[in-house]
Amino acid sequence: MNATSLARDTQFSRRALLRAAGLAGAAAVLPLAGCGSVPSSQNGVTTLRFMQNKPEVVAYFNQVIKDFEALNPDIRVIQDFNEGNFVPGLVRNDPPDVVTRGFAQATADFVRKGVFADLSDLPAAATIDPKIQDLVSSWGQYNGHETSALPFSLAAAGVIYRRDIFEAQGVSVPTTWDEFVAACEKFKAAGITPIYGTFKDNWTLGQGMFDYVAGGALDIVDFFARLTAQGAAISADAAESFTSNFGPALPKMLELASFSQKGAASKNYADGNAAFAKGQAAMYLQGPWALSQLVAANKNVRLGSFPLPVTNNPADTKVRVNVDMALSITRNTPNMAAARRFVSYLLDPSVVNAYSEKNAAFSPLKEAPAVENPQITGLAASVREGRYYQGATTYFPPSVPLYNYVQAFVYGKNSQQFLSALDDEWRRVAERTAV
Amino acid sequence: MTTTSEMAQVSQPAASTVPPKATSRAIRSKNRIDPTYYWMVVPVLALFAFFITLPALVGVFFSLTNYAGYGDWKFIGLSNYVNIFKDPAILQSYIFTFVFALTTTVVVNIVALAIALGLNAKIKWRTGIRTVFFIPMVLSALVVSFVFNYLFSNTLPVLADRFGVTPLATSILANENLAWLAIVLVTVWQAAPGATIIYLAGLQSVPAEVYEAADLDGAGSFRQFLSLTLPLILGYLVINVILGFKGFLGTYEIIVGLTGGGPGMATQSVAMRIFSGFTGGDYSYQMANAVIYFLITLLISVIQLRLIQRRGVSL
Repeated sequence: MNATSLARDTQFSRRALLRAAGLAGAAAVLPLAGCGSVPSSQNGVTTLRFMQNKPEVVAYFNQVIKDFEALNPDIRVIQDFNEGNFVPGLVRNDPPDVVTRGFAQATADFVRKGVFADLSDLPAAATIDPKIQDLVSSWGQYNGHETSALPFSLAAAGVIYRRDIFEAQGVSVPTTWDEFVAACEKFKAAGITPIYGTFKDNWTLGQGMFDYVAGGALDIVDFFARLTAQGAAISADAAESFTSNFGPALPKMLELASFSQKGAASKNYADGNAAFAKGQAAMYLQGPWALSQLVAANKNVRLGSFPLPVTNNPADTKVRVNVDMALSITRNTPNMAAARRFVSYLLDPSVVNAYSEKNAAFSPLKEAPAVENPQITGLAASVREGRYYQGATTYFPPSVPLYNYVQAFVYGKNSQQFLSALDDEWRRVAERTAV
Repeated sequence: MTTTSEMAQVSQPAASTVPPKATSRAIRSKNRIDPTYYWMVVPVLALFAFFITLPALVGVFFSLTNYAGYGDWKFIGLSNYVNIFKDPAILQSYIFTFVFALTTTVVVNIVALAIALGLNAKIKWRTGIRTVFFIPMVLSALVVSFVFNYLFSNTLPVLADRFGVTPLATSILANENLAWLAIVLVTVWQAAPGATIIYLAGLQSVPAEVYEAADLDGAGSFRQFLSLTLPLILGYLVINVILGFKGFLGTYEIIVGLTGGGPGMATQSVAMRIFSGFTGGDYSYQMANAVIYFLITLLISVIQLRLIQRRGVSL
């Protein structure tokens, strides 16, 4: 699961609401200029707080931290993987020193508000592939030039497929939309569900078929740049609107949905992982985060991935990527020197590449080794050649319940209603954030 | 009601027999209030003010700004409020919440009253059955809704498929028109025991003699319920309706556990929209929503309190 879906899923009880309200209250009451944060060093040992956004890789970072502390006895690092603490930390003016975040609209908001320090002069910054750094910078830079986050891992998502089922049916990896549809028809005729659908978890529809179809058919960066430039002046019939651009792509979503099993509406992500690992379908529209779950459910499963072709020109095919983890240092940390040393260590090729290899991710470094994991080799060419896009869902402000709208569209099949709802929501958010 | 009037009758003659000296001392001590009461009230009042009232006021303050929960902000006057009234998604959540609260209140009270009547009758294993009925009350709503989520999504469709009940063969949680009924059902399942307890207390306060008299007059059991039981427990009914309605307006965790506000936008309650402001960087906008919702519930509460006072019941 990537950062955005986590953020949307993190809806806890009313108690959490009260806690948040209380926090906001307390923060306003306590003297704001207060003590600020004091350098946390004792006996010459500096303590860093490191918040990372992926609970499934805690063990990996524990090992990294151990190695780092052995080399740097004057620094101690505490790992925190509860990303939900980040905003309260900001409100208390006591955020962690080093942060990793999935890069999307919400994180870009922090960048624009100047929460993170400039890392452009860090030697490690020069080792990062400028095209991947661009994925971060394209969201906007603080003061127009600062580097607020350095990519640590790049996740590429496409169609996960069962190599055994493809081989048994004599189907090769499709490179055009028509080939893809023909493959689905072939599976269907053989009594195999072509695509396993988990529509109950609406985020799987959002960053699955919606992002794939939109990203494959449109120039996402360009679309959102033009849309954002319009600000609150956007209307449904403007040339920049969702209605004017997304219409032709949407029927393909419904076609993908129709290749899913009966009762997909009552299956969630966990059901999907279990069923797909057991061989109940040939394909699964999920990213690399699902791979470890699939292997956990069936350790003999032979998986591959390919980018979903959305047009009939193989050269158009692109893969959905997201900067799964980007490293930042909070601007006001009192432990800047130690934090920079830690970030430099994390961006050491041995640390980055070991992480990528273990977690089916792509390395953001210029000198990235070739990907050997057969589960994701099918995506490697697209990533290497830069044929990728960041999912359309990641461009939405989190206050728009986008996944709910996507789900309503898949169920109700009313594309007109769906697109005008997106246009309305976008305009309303632009109106109230413009002031 | 009858007990209080009896008490008054008993205490009056007792007071008149007390010697005059003692009465004057009693009056003096009545004027000087025991400080213990202040010790009971003031700390709670301070805590309440600090943890509830103050944050609420801070929230009202921020609803007039464009604060995202962190970072810079500035005053923007009432435009958050103006924007809320122009937002059909917010309006839809209000409509859903009120329809849901009304339906659930009606169903909960009918079910609870029926259960209470049954449990109040002289049936076998009454204590055991009562315990079984009250179990839902001690379970966490989130746990209950996750269990029901599983039943609706997996068990029920399989059963319906086997017995050929096609409308139920796909999960009703995935149906935009029916999902809210599933939420009503689970809420009723969870909330009925609480209402049942109140009704049981009410039924036990009805003296047996009135039923004996009604029997002699030849009233049937339905007539007895309509003309005796219902009027005598009307105060309890009012309390149940008011507490229930107020609680259902704030519905949150059962929806989170069942549908997460979906499918589509079909079951987004107002509380869910307000909470989305915390994760969504939409803090001030949803704060304005919260203020509006507070005023609406305040208005409803005032109307209900007036109704209660007319009925002679106090909470």
